[in-house]
Formats: sequence, structure tokens, C-alpha cells
Amino acid sequence: MTDLRAEVPGAAPPATAGAPAPGAAPVAPRRRRRLRYGVVGAVFAGAVAFLVSQVGGSLDYFETVDQAVAHRASLGAQTVRLEGLVVPGSVHRDGTGVDFVAAGVHDRVAVHDTGSPPQLFQADIPVVVVGHFTGSGFAAGQIIVDHSATYIEQHPARVRAPNGTTR
Amino acid sequence: MSAPAPPSPARRPPRRALVGASGLAGAVGLGVTVWLGLWVTPPDVHQRDLVRLLYIHPPIAWVALYLAFGLAGVASLLWLWPRTRARLWDRLAASAMEVGVVFTALTLLTGMLWGRPTWGVWWVWDARLTSTALLLVMQLGYLALRRVPADPDARARRSAVAALVAAVDVPIVHFSVDWWHTLHQPGTVLNPELDAKVHGAMAWTLLLGFVSVTLVFVWLLAERYRIEALADEAADAGLEAALEERWAEAGATAQAQAPAGVGS
Repeated sequence: MTDLRAEVPGAAPPATAGAPAPGAAPVAPRRRRRLRYGVVGAVFAGAVAFLVSQVGGSLDYFETVDQAVAHRASLGAQTVRLEGLVVPGSVHRDGTGVDFVAAGVHDRVAVHDTGSPPQLFQADIPVVVVGHFTGSGFAAGQIIVDHSATYIEQHPARVRAPNGTTR
Repeated sequence: MSAPAPPSPARRPPRRALVGASGLAGAVGLGVTVWLGLWVTPPDVHQRDLVRLLYIHPPIAWVALYLAFGLAGVASLLWLWPRTRARLWDRLAASAMEVGVVFTALTLLTGMLWGRPTWGVWWVWDARLTSTALLLVMQLGYLALRRVPADPDARARRSAVAALVAAVDVPIVHFSVDWWHTLHQPGTVLNPELDAKVHGAMAWTLLLGFVSVTLVFVWLLAERYRIEALADEAADAGLEAALEERWAEAGATAQAQAPAGVGS
């Protein structure tokens, strides 16, 4: 009996149901399975590598106005993402786009954007502009609104009347 | 022939009422959150009506990043630690990770839906978004790893290590908005000052959103755990049956060969 029991664990357990019996294991299905896991592993590793490569050498998505102005000479006409606060009163729209001044803590840059500003674009909010420095300022092709994590009621003092109106 | 099996977690009184109550409370809470978020709370001074996604996106992210991954990480550690090793930790880690992957995907989806009208783009490759996408890929990798045929201990060991490797990304996701310049705003509630800059009724609605989504997660987790425990039981029963069958076969063969052995 002892010998028989010793043989039992060698039998194919349910987890490998359909797998070849010991001693007669066909090599092809095992290779196919290994190949399949290899492909899945390679796809997974590729996805991770792609995501890491998207972040690239710099983990900063943008440079602040102060940082960019500090090494403006080295940037040349290189495309950069520039972050600054839209100075109130500086926004002017015309047929070619929108002009405004982006402010950092110390420096300011005049921006001319030829893209379509997002619906939340307005004065006194931080934005990221994608473009390059020119002789007179910054030429942008895209504005991205960089909103804060502060949420304030638009009309906190107003109350709703029984008839549904606010006052 | 065999002694009665010890009661498994799936056969114990499962506290189904508590689990059901959690799901019901979560569903009702979500309904109230939607009602408050869409009809009662005021618009935001900058985002106006777009702020209404605030009431679901951070709560979903909270569950995905901290609750689900926290549970999976702690349970994986407890499984790897020899003194606390028990199957329940492997099941809990697997359940938390599987439910968590849904919440991570929802985090990315609701974030994109919020980002398009507010930022003006669906997606950017900043450190917060990229590290969250990486988290989703690693969660999917964890689930794929669990499907690789192996004995339960080997599978649990591999999975626990994979969960801990993936968990390294969680603090990176959390602190990415503080460590680097990201388009994603700093944490709404879990910021360095732990100061939620959310005004009045918006804050209470957000809190309700957090509680409701958490309750829904608890319900989903408990149900998923129960399924995992039942699957383990079924696998154990299958193994027992296979062993019994082989023993019976072996016994019959021995009996058939016995007379020939005596006669020779």
C-alpha cells in the first residue's frame, strides 16, 4: 500500500488536468504554453517600458516662467511647456489667436497663442502653454489649463428662493 | 473514510447581512451623492459646473490607490511572513487587487472625462497620470500572473511578490504631484497640509462620495473574497476526488495482480 500511495502524488492533479501523464509528457504543448507566457510577459514588459519612456528624462511636465526665463538662452527655439499665471487685464483676443502675459513669481512672458484655448481659459488662473521663445515673447500653439485643487462656491452668499430663483 | 473537513471561511456564518447592508448603504449614498453633486451643490468659481466630477473622481481614486492597494500590499506581506502565512491573506490580496483594478480604470476614465473640458486635453504624460497608468498595467500583470497554472503556494508566493513590487508605485503616484511639476493638481484632501480646500456644501458632498464609494468597495471586496474561497474549496474537492479515484484504480490493479503473483 505504501508504494501505491507514493505513486499517487505523481498523478496529474486537477490543476494540470489535460496535461500529459508523467513520463509521457509531450514537449510541444509545454513549449507552446511557455511561448504564450513569454509573449504575455514581453507585452507586459513592453507596456511598462513604453510608459516609463513617455515620462522621459525629465519627470517635470513643464517649466515655470521663472525657470524658463532663467535659461532662455539655452532653450533657443526649442519647444517647451511653460507654466504661469494669466495676468488679469492682459488677455486680448483677435483674429489670429489670443495674447496674454504669463507670470511667474519674479518674471513675466508675453504669450501669443494661435491654438484654440480651452473653455476654462481666463484671467488669474495658471496655464501651461506649449511653444517656443521668440524675440519678443513666447509663441504658443496650445494652451492647457492647470487648475488648482481649491474649490470655491461660485455664489456662496446667494440663497435659493422657494420659487427656484437665486438671490 | 476521511475526517470531516475543518470549516472553511466560505462555510462559516458569512455575515451576509452586514455585507449586503454595506452594498445597499453604498448604493444609496452614491445616489444621494449624485443628487447633491448635480442638483444641490453650487458651481465652482473657476470650473463652474465642471466641478461636479469632483464628487466621484477623488473618492474612486482613494479606493483604487489606498484601500485596494493598501489591503493587497498588507495581505501579501502577511502571506509572505511565515508566522502569519494563511490562505486567507492570499485570497484577500487577490480579491482586493481584482476589485482595485476596476477602480484604477475608473480613476483614469473619470480623470480623462474631467481633464478634457478643464485642462483642454484628454491625457498628458505627466508623472501623476503616467504612474497611475503604470499602476493599472501592473495590476493587470498581477491578475495575469495568478492565471498561470501552479500549485496554490507557488501562486500565492509569486502573486505576493508581484503585489509588493507594484505597491512601490503607490507612493510614487501619491507624491508625484509634490515631487515634480505635474499638470494634475495637488491632492484635494490628502495634500501635505491635510487641508481640503473645498468650500461648504461641496465639502460635505465630497465626504459623502468618499464614504459611499468606500462602502461599495467593501461590498465588492467581500463578495469577491467569497467567490475566491468557494473556488479554493472546489479546487480542493476536485483534488480529493482525483486522489480517491487514483487510489481506487491502484487498489483494483493490485487486487487483479495478486493471484498471478501468488501462483508464480
